[in-house]
Amino acid sequence: MRIAITGIGAVSAIGLNCTQTLDALLKERSGIGAMRYLGSAHTDLPVGEVPCSNEELRQQLSLGNEPMPRTSLLGLMAAREALTMASLRPSKATAFISGTTVGGMDLTEQHWADYKEGKATENIRLHEAGESTNAIAKHLGEFGFIGTPSTACSSALNSIILGANLLRTGQAKQALVGGSESLSLFHFNGFNTLMILDSKPCRPFDADRHGLNLGEGAGYIVIEDEKAAIQRGATILGYIAGYANTCDAFHQTASSENGEGAYLAMSKALEMAHLQPNDIDYVNAHGTATPNNDLSESAALKRLFGDSLPFISSTKAFTGHTTSASGGLETVICLLAMQHHLVPANLHWNKTEEGLVIPTTHTIQSNLHHILCNAFGFGGNESSLILSDTAVDLSEANYSPVQVKVTIDQIDDTDISQYVSPAEARRMTPQMRRIVAAAKKALNEVGIPQPDAIICASQWGCMLQSMRFLQDMVETDEQQLKPTPFMQSTHNTIASLIAILTGNHGYNSTYSQGKQSLQCAITDVEAQMNLGMIHNALVLEFDEQVEAWDNVLQLINDRTTNIAKAYFLTC
Amino acid sequence: MEELIEQLKQQIIEALNFEDMTPADIDANAPLFGEGLGLDSIDALELIMLLDREYGIKLADPKSGKEVFRSVRSMAEYIQKNRTK
Repeated sequence: MRIAITGIGAVSAIGLNCTQTLDALLKERSGIGAMRYLGSAHTDLPVGEVPCSNEELRQQLSLGNEPMPRTSLLGLMAAREALTMASLRPSKATAFISGTTVGGMDLTEQHWADYKEGKATENIRLHEAGESTNAIAKHLGEFGFIGTPSTACSSALNSIILGANLLRTGQAKQALVGGSESLSLFHFNGFNTLMILDSKPCRPFDADRHGLNLGEGAGYIVIEDEKAAIQRGATILGYIAGYANTCDAFHQTASSENGEGAYLAMSKALEMAHLQPNDIDYVNAHGTATPNNDLSESAALKRLFGDSLPFISSTKAFTGHTTSASGGLETVICLLAMQHHLVPANLHWNKTEEGLVIPTTHTIQSNLHHILCNAFGFGGNESSLILSDTAVDLSEANYSPVQVKVTIDQIDDTDISQYVSPAEARRMTPQMRRIVAAAKKALNEVGIPQPDAIICASQWGCMLQSMRFLQDMVETDEQQLKPTPFMQSTHNTIASLIAILTGNHGYNSTYSQGKQSLQCAITDVEAQMNLGMIHNALVLEFDEQVEAWDNVLQLINDRTTNIAKAYFLTC
Repeated sequence: MEELIEQLKQQIIEALNFEDMTPADIDANAPLFGEGLGLDSIDALELIMLLDREYGIKLADPKSGKEVFRSVRSMAEYIQKNRTK
C-alpha cells in the first residue's frame, strides 16, 4: 500500500492556518513573545501562544457556549483545515487519532475553586485526554475509530504511526492524525520546576542555549491509500515512507548521552522506507534547546549521518515547544517545506560547541525529496517519521490472531518487594509499585524479559502525582513546586518506567481514551502483529484511586478506581 | 555544624522519599551523586528546592549545584555561609 497525504492543517503561534504558517517561515518571523493569555505568575518567561483568546477561537469556529478545553479549540481549527483541504467528510471508515497530554487540564485549573463549591461541573469530564479528543470529533462528524495516544511530546507522531498502521491493515480507509496541546499552568510550571525554561527566546543547537519556550498549537494530516485518493480526485501532497517508535530507556526526563533511542528510531524509520541516510534531504529535529536534548539528539544524528549531515533545523524557535502537538505541527511544517522547496530556518543560532550539529540558520530554497521529522517525549519516548515526495510501497497485513498468554489481575502488596527494590520504589506511588510488579511478574511467567512492545492504557493517567502538583500549584500560587510529581504526572510514566527498569528499547506507547483505553492499546497491538512489526507485547492497564479527584468526581456521580493489570500478548 | 548536618540529612530523606532510611544511614562525607545515595538530575532539582524552601537560598543554574551537592557536609557548609533564613 502507498500512503498518500491529502490534507494538512496547522495552528500555532506563527499562524492560524497553513498559509499564515508558511508566510512566517518564509519571513523568519517567530511567534515567541510575552505571555498574553496564560495568566501565570511567571510573566518573565516568554511563550509561543496562539494569538487568540478562547472567546476569539470560539467565534472563528462558530461555536456556542458549550465547555471546550483550549486543546480542543486549537485541535478543531487545525483538523477542519486538514479535512477541508482533503475534501473529505469523515465516515465510519475514517479514524481520528489525536495525541494530547494536557487534555482539559486548563479547565480543571480554572474551575478548581468552583468544584469545591459544587459549581461548573459540566467541565469535569473534559479533564480526560480522551474526552478532549471526543470534543473535537463531535464537531467534525462520524468516525469509526477514535484514539488518543498520550506519550508526552511524541504523542502526535505516535498518532500518525497508529493511523498508518490502521490503513495498512484495512481497519480504516482514511485517517485524520496528529495532535493538539494548549498551554496550561500545570505543565508550564512543571517545566519550570525542571529548570529548563529559557527567559529569552530559545536557541536550539546553540552553544549558549538555556532551555525551551513552551508553545501551543495543533497539527493534523489526512492520510489514505494512494489509489483511493486518486479515485476521488484528491490532491496528493506527499507520502508516508517510514516511521518508528522506540524507547531510550534511560531516564524519565533526561536523554541518554549517545542518543540511543533517537538513533534507533531514525534508523528503523529509514529501514522501513528502504532509504539510506544520504537520501534524507532535511531533518526537522526535535531540537527543544535544552542543553540535554540538543546534545543527545546531535549525538544520534552524527551516529546516523556521519560527516555528511543533511539540512537540519528545529522550528521550535518559531513556535515554541508545542509538546504533544509538536509531531503533528512539525509534520505539517515539513510538508509545507517539501511543497514550497524550502528549508525552514533554525532561528537565533549563533555559535556551535563540541558535539552539536550545526543547523541551517536561514530559510533557504532547496528541493526536498525525503524529510525526516523527530519528536521525543518524556521517558525517552522517541518517534521518527519519514515523508517523501514520491510513492513508497509499504507492506500490508497478514492476519495472525492475537492470543493472551498471561494475565496478572492483581498483585498482593506483600509480593511487591520481590519485583521492585526500595531504590526503584522510592519515587513511585503505591499504585505505580503495583503495576510495575504486575508487569515484571507477567514477564517472568512468560519467560520473555524483553517484549517487542510495552503499551499502557489509562483513563485518567498518573492522577495521584497530577493532583499533588495541581494542589501545590493552586495553594502556593505557583511557588515552591516540586519536580518529582510533575515528572511522574504524564500518562506515559508507567510504560516508560517499566522500559527504563527493564532496559527495553522496543515500541512504547500509552492510550488515554476513557473506558476504551484498553481497546485502543489492543487495536495498536493487533495492527502491529498483523503487519509483522512486533511478535509480542506487554499491555498494562493502570488507574489509581485519588481522594482529591474523587471529591470532584462525586459531583458527577463518578469515582476513580485502582487498576493494575498486566497482559502478555503473542500471535 | 554537626547539628545542621543532622537536620539536613532528615530533610534530604523526606525530600527524596528515602522512606526506609534514617539519618544514621547517610555518611555526611560520602558523594551524593554517582556512588553513595546514587542520586540523579531530578534529585538535584529537589535539593535546589530544599535549599530555597528551608534556607532561602536560590541557585539559578542547576550546574552551579555540582560543587554544593558533593556531599551532605559540603551542602551544610554552603548553607551556613549563604542562608537567609
